[in-house]
Amino acid sequence: MARFRLLPRYRQPWLVFMLALGALLAGESAATAPSVPAVAAVLPEAAASQARMRLLSQEQFFNSLGYVFGPDIAISSHFAPFRRTDGLLASGAAAAGVTIGQMQEFQRTAGAIATAVVSPANRGFLVPCSPRHEDAADARCAARFLVPVARLLHRRAPTREQQAALVATAGEAADRLHDFHAGLGVALEGLLLSPETLFMIERSEPDPSHPGLRRLDGYSLASRLSFFLWNASPDEELLKSAERGELHDAKGLSRTLDRMLASPRLETGVRAFFDDLLRFDDLAVLAKDPAIYPAFSGETVEDAREQTLRTIVDHLLVRQRDYRDLFTTRDTFISPALAVLYGVPAPPGWTPYTSPPDSQRVGLLTQISFLAVHAHPGRSSATLRGKGLREKLLCQQVPRAPPNVDFSIVENPDSTLRTAREKLSAHRSNPICAGCHKITDPIGLALEHFDGAGQYRETEKGAPIDASGTLDGKAFEDVPGLASVLRDNPLLPACLVKRVYSYGTGGPATPADKPVLAWLGEHFAEDGYRLPDLLRTIATSQPFSMVTDPAVATAAGSAAPAVATSAAAGAAAGARR
Amino acid sequence: MKHPPPPRLLPMLGLLLAGFAHADSPDRPTGGSIAYVLTNMSWAMQSTPGAAECPKGLNEGTREQFKQLFPDNGTKRSFESTQLRREIDGFHPTIAAEPFVYREGEGPVAPGLDLDGIAGPEDFRSPDGHGGIDNQMHRVLGCTANYRGPDGPIRFFEDEMVLRENYNRVVVQLGGVDSLKDDDAVEVRIFRGRDKVLVDAGGLKAVPGGTQRVDLRRGANYIREMHGRISGGVLRTEPVDLLYPWDVFYFPSDQYMYKARLELTLAPTAATGLIGGYVDIETWYLHMIRNWSTHYQSYGNSSAPSIYKAMRRLADAEPDSQTGRNRAISGALATVFTQVNIIEPDPAEYAEALTRRRIAAPYRGMPAERDPAEEQFELPASTPAVAAANGGSR
Repeated sequence: MARFRLLPRYRQPWLVFMLALGALLAGESAATAPSVPAVAAVLPEAAASQARMRLLSQEQFFNSLGYVFGPDIAISSHFAPFRRTDGLLASGAAAAGVTIGQMQEFQRTAGAIATAVVSPANRGFLVPCSPRHEDAADARCAARFLVPVARLLHRRAPTREQQAALVATAGEAADRLHDFHAGLGVALEGLLLSPETLFMIERSEPDPSHPGLRRLDGYSLASRLSFFLWNASPDEELLKSAERGELHDAKGLSRTLDRMLASPRLETGVRAFFDDLLRFDDLAVLAKDPAIYPAFSGETVEDAREQTLRTIVDHLLVRQRDYRDLFTTRDTFISPALAVLYGVPAPPGWTPYTSPPDSQRVGLLTQISFLAVHAHPGRSSATLRGKGLREKLLCQQVPRAPPNVDFSIVENPDSTLRTAREKLSAHRSNPICAGCHKITDPIGLALEHFDGAGQYRETEKGAPIDASGTLDGKAFEDVPGLASVLRDNPLLPACLVKRVYSYGTGGPATPADKPVLAWLGEHFAEDGYRLPDLLRTIATSQPFSMVTDPAVATAAGSAAPAVATSAAAGAAAGARR
Repeated sequence: MKHPPPPRLLPMLGLLLAGFAHADSPDRPTGGSIAYVLTNMSWAMQSTPGAAECPKGLNEGTREQFKQLFPDNGTKRSFESTQLRREIDGFHPTIAAEPFVYREGEGPVAPGLDLDGIAGPEDFRSPDGHGGIDNQMHRVLGCTANYRGPDGPIRFFEDEMVLRENYNRVVVQLGGVDSLKDDDAVEVRIFRGRDKVLVDAGGLKAVPGGTQRVDLRRGANYIREMHGRISGGVLRTEPVDLLYPWDVFYFPSDQYMYKARLELTLAPTAATGLIGGYVDIETWYLHMIRNWSTHYQSYGNSSAPSIYKAMRRLADAEPDSQTGRNRAISGALATVFTQVNIIEPDPAEYAEALTRRRIAAPYRGMPAERDPAEEQFELPASTPAVAAANGGSR
């Protein structure tokens, strides 16, 4: 396996592994578990995040290309997913290895994109000039195309040496292939494959306002902002702001954030974050037994994901409402594939839908995306639902079941025990099982009014369903009661703060981040738990731009790679094995 | 029971009830309303495995007739006088006698409804023992392989298209229902839906709980409102003249049934049973000849001109005011409906659509019918003589 260096100062793979593992464990430790400060939190004077080198996700890669070349340049591709770290795939991007197989996929993708961009159908509007001779090199025209593209793909202006190398590559290939545009394609393929494109490499510089400390340089801060808010590379305007030094100026940064938060691209970024937070990658492998749930189809899965993301975008961005109310709102959107599970009519497409006041369908917990994922193919699961709630929404860790656990009581289809509550009660008689089930089942049983596909039911096998329970000492009687208790649980917003901060800074929070998280949590509360305000607070906070690990910056800065052709990128990969 | 709301008020009521379509008990639909979308339909006829209803055997089709008319004996014939001529016989059928044996479905048992309340000599007894069944369509199609159950090719395709083709989206909606078991007065509305039928993950089986909107723009002619009663879980409606869509292979067409009535066994998730009435022959035949080319007729030994002559010969209703010849024939459709939720239309738009509705058979045949004398049959001398007893009309 070819492994790109992760943190440039740590060249030993075992050390990288141990650091990554340590970060992973630290993310789940009690030291960073969300908590609500008893007194006003103070941001430490030297609060900083880590400068990181992150592999772009497939979505980030194509979102970025969409800005540079337009959305039509879309290639079917399958980048390997990251390892979920402290609740987020995004936090795994800084500890990602690149296998030979993945490198081949990058190369296949880059080649296909380059071919499409310089194709006769597209070159007329994607290449800003025509060569003097179609069958020969033209350095001037090549530079007019490659230099601006390199700037956008690398998210910083290429040096003169890099520009010269790019043009030389294009010229050499054009002469050899007797085709200017083919040469241009070779150079573009190399650009797309270069580490500067595939990785978000954060570089730092001394912070003049904090002597002895370091901050991200303008380009790196622009990239961090852009991937945080838009899940894509910086646009031209953001790069210019970085070049003018505006991102290190409070007013300039504020103006930039005004623009970024008002951009329609913010929805892309927010969707990406919640897609990650709620682990919707699990939906890709979700299936239900068609004999038990015939109305649950592949379309249902797609729409379940879209329903939750639409609800979130509408609630948090369009209406700018309290994040906590996502779990008590009766407002959502519905499609025909979901309507059948809701037992209501719905026209084609998406329609706003408000559940009746006496309905048990309230908040995100009662949406299909939560209920069906946290269930078995043929039945519901109070345990999985309780576990899902604690881990995804409260940032708590529920231990895995021991390998020798006896499930016979809950899985026996001929059991005299009819409801899940009866079965789990019997299951908890085993003290080995009781420990974890005590923290999951009282929550999950409240959702037993919804079967494994998320359809409402009054009874289970003829027995009435008891939906009462407790969450962290707060009692409730039914699903709306659970939603209300969850909504008022202080860990709910604290968990979001932790995850958003981790997402924005590119890695799991560490124990050192605890004061920062407390400080952000206070601001979040003061701002009425509105997500756009939280995004702005994080983006303007000191630790978002101030970084530790100066060796990253100096090492990366001095060894800034020349713009690589595909061959050079391959050689680079080999050299770092 | 409460007096049900008049049909025109159903849309308004439905708006209030949208979202409560699930039954609050197995027998009583919430809000007194439930709807079903048509998901299976075929001509009701007796089709026993041994074809006991066809003691003379099954019919020959267009391919076999062609061989009789034009044997491969060295005679030189033109395309116009052979293939094209038989196409003309199909597209411009007459009631002239033909020299082929037509084997009718026989009794004593055939499914259907007692449409006239009379137990006549040609009536059948239903499989469950009811007498007076009017189903002359069984006689016409009962011994033609294309239409016989369970898997005659045309029968199979026509049934399949009910689900697949949006054009065929027939919905039956009941209002004022106190119980799916017994209610002596319910309101019934039939209309065309606008949406795909919800199917399971396999894509072939309809699933209850889908959604349908009412087609008011192009579907006004399909809307019917009638009274009915439920007894022992079976809905029976008063007769209405019914227009229903039956697109096959993307070729939209409609059929028309005089004095049609529904007899459906109701359940919370499905309704199954018969739609019986008098089929408008010209409309039915237009559908058949346009949708089922000679190619498809050959799949299951059917011959369009022969079927037309049989229909006209066995027709038992709607006599023509000038000729006195019957233009409709008794028959029944075996149907399966699946529960569906309805998005009610705007009442004003619904009322406006009713003003555009035209209740009449959509097709009355060619403006100038072909002279039967033009349809000549000259079988070669070597062909065994066949009775011309099939000729003439009633």
